[in-house]
Amino acid sequence: MLSPPFITASHTNLFTQPLNKNNNHSPLTTKTHQKLKPPIISSSSIKSQRQTHPILTAPSLPLTTSSITVKLNRLTSEFNTLTEPIERVKRLLHYASLLPPFEDSDRVPENRISGCSTQVWVVSAMDNDGKLWFRADSDSEISKGFCWCLVWALNGACPVEVLHVTERDLGHVDILGLGLKAQSRINTWHNLLLGMQKAAKDLLIRRELEEKAFYSSMVVDDDDDHSGGVFANGKLSGIGVSLVYMH
Amino acid sequence: MEVLLLKVPSFKFSSPISCCSISTRSSSYVKFGFRRFSSLSVSASSTVNEAVTEPSLASPSLGHTTRPHFPILHQEVNGKKLVYLDNAATSQKPTIVLETLQSYYKAYNSNVHRGIHFLSAKATDEYESARRKVATFINAFDSREIVFTRNATEAINLVAYSWGLSNLKRGDEIILTVAEHHSAIVPWQLLAQKVGAVLKFVNLNQDEVPDIDKLQELLSRKTKLVVVHHVSNVLASILPIRDIASWAHDVGAKVLVDACQSVPHMPVDVQSLNVDFLVASSHKMCGPTGIGFLYGKIDLLSSMPPFLGGGEMISDVFYDHSTYAEPPSRFEAGTPAIGEAIGLGAAIDYLSGIGMQTIHDYEVYLGRYLYERLLSVPNIRIYGPAPSEKTERVALCSFNVENIQATDLATLLDQLHGVAIRSGHHCAQPLHRFLGVNASARASLYFYNTKEDVDNFIQALNDTINFFK
Repeated sequence: MLSPPFITASHTNLFTQPLNKNNNHSPLTTKTHQKLKPPIISSSSIKSQRQTHPILTAPSLPLTTSSITVKLNRLTSEFNTLTEPIERVKRLLHYASLLPPFEDSDRVPENRISGCSTQVWVVSAMDNDGKLWFRADSDSEISKGFCWCLVWALNGACPVEVLHVTERDLGHVDILGLGLKAQSRINTWHNLLLGMQKAAKDLLIRRELEEKAFYSSMVVDDDDDHSGGVFANGKLSGIGVSLVYMH
Repeated sequence: MEVLLLKVPSFKFSSPISCCSISTRSSSYVKFGFRRFSSLSVSASSTVNEAVTEPSLASPSLGHTTRPHFPILHQEVNGKKLVYLDNAATSQKPTIVLETLQSYYKAYNSNVHRGIHFLSAKATDEYESARRKVATFINAFDSREIVFTRNATEAINLVAYSWGLSNLKRGDEIILTVAEHHSAIVPWQLLAQKVGAVLKFVNLNQDEVPDIDKLQELLSRKTKLVVVHHVSNVLASILPIRDIASWAHDVGAKVLVDACQSVPHMPVDVQSLNVDFLVASSHKMCGPTGIGFLYGKIDLLSSMPPFLGGGEMISDVFYDHSTYAEPPSRFEAGTPAIGEAIGLGAAIDYLSGIGMQTIHDYEVYLGRYLYERLLSVPNIRIYGPAPSEKTERVALCSFNVENIQATDLATLLDQLHGVAIRSGHHCAQPLHRFLGVNASARASLYFYNTKEDVDNFIQALNDTINFFK
């Protein structure tokens, strides 16, 4: 039985709601939510794929009106209206409170974002439509606020969109009014983006490896009994269902 | 505690025992020898072990009298007056150091040691004068025992690559403590991997200071080097360096002391301590960044091969080999940070003008005040030993407040109150792991901080804690 790590459609609406103080929804806590699992492909195969991948190695494409850009712009406007530092902090802490519970079992070194002065963990998954969904958590309330904002901005986007978010796009969103443009060890905002982009790359490569494996398994040998093809690879996640329909 | 009063703007003061004048250009100073400074008051000078009492209301504190010399302290951040309590990370610079730097670049910037023209001669003179000032400041026997480096980290790496590679072999042991700064750990890890040496770490005892008894037990004929901090940048504790050096020498081991947190704050006498190597950074002692120094006994330095190769450190260069200069030049490849070294010299003049004992006494008083006020904060845990008759703490406190992440505390203190402290692991991850925490917040003082700074910090901290409730 396949257990795809995807978010149901009823949840996705929560991620496109406008930012306002009364948005108390915790997007991933309803009972139909499936547990997100981190990718399982080995890092060595992913690394070699990453080096030759056409999308990943292509020069960066300009983002025009991607959903991410829209959301980042909304965050920018929202925080720009808050001129007092205390108001910014309060808003950030409010968003921190919206962050859904994070599994203790996901608080492992493999999921930890490097380079932050606080501890930040991210897990990610790709749904049937190839869209990315993230979960993040931190031991710091302020970092949690950053996590919520970036997860909200990137959730539901496709990998290419996520991968083309630049530090410049992020740099406009100066949430704490620190003017932190340069990369710095303490810059959770930037390090979180980098971590999520790395996860996006890994998921993209994983999906393509699985597609390749699926199609190879469909090549019928004279000795095959024809029934192993589609269902041979039980690990295909999110892809197996649509291919069954095609078959 | 008797307080040294400085007349602003002149730094001159006189006393029956010592005097010092500071100028931007001249290198005039008086050799102080072992620290015996007196203050302007008629009473005798205090010593380290005397109980420290709050200065009388009639006399302003050292913090109040020196603050005007530090322009950077007089500003607002995030709409609030800056309260700078991150001195263990870096210190601020008095006007005289800033003027010295500008004067160098404006009036006599020139490359040192080889030029024969007027500017070069003057630059060389001031650069070497700065070296002598450092030597005098720590009571080195000879100014050739002072090697200028980029900072303490580079100085430790110099010893690791130069002395370490040629003296350590497989199975040799290096003793460190779990409280060492990363710059006093990582170079030895790299060296140990190369030569097959073994690193041994001394844990903390129940008072949260490195267990000196354990350190003694670990010493053996296999020990070739002991690397220890003088003052811990997290625990605020002071190690008995003289004893440690004596025990180490008994087994034939050398001692390297990381004095980054001691040289800026108290008298340090390398001859009295009898250490083999000692490192410190200028930027923590009112001097510019980009310059630090290694002290090494002249016999040791003379036996050590070069670290970096290039100009200045050679005697003759041929196609297939070169001969090398004597120390300290042997270890100063390339054009040094000339202006910065001269700036460090000016910082030393400034500190000596106040008196390191006076600075230390004031910081003992202010550090105790900081500790006691912090203790009154609910649910707080301060790391390191509790101060007592037997146990001295320096003027810094690393701490955690239950249920509030250290970086959140520091962020709000900055954003809402203009208070600058540090949060994280303070380049001491092994120590934090040992203490069972991921991070801590740290407030660290220097002689230009005042009681009001501490009061403002505590109030801001209480407000921040209430904000998170």
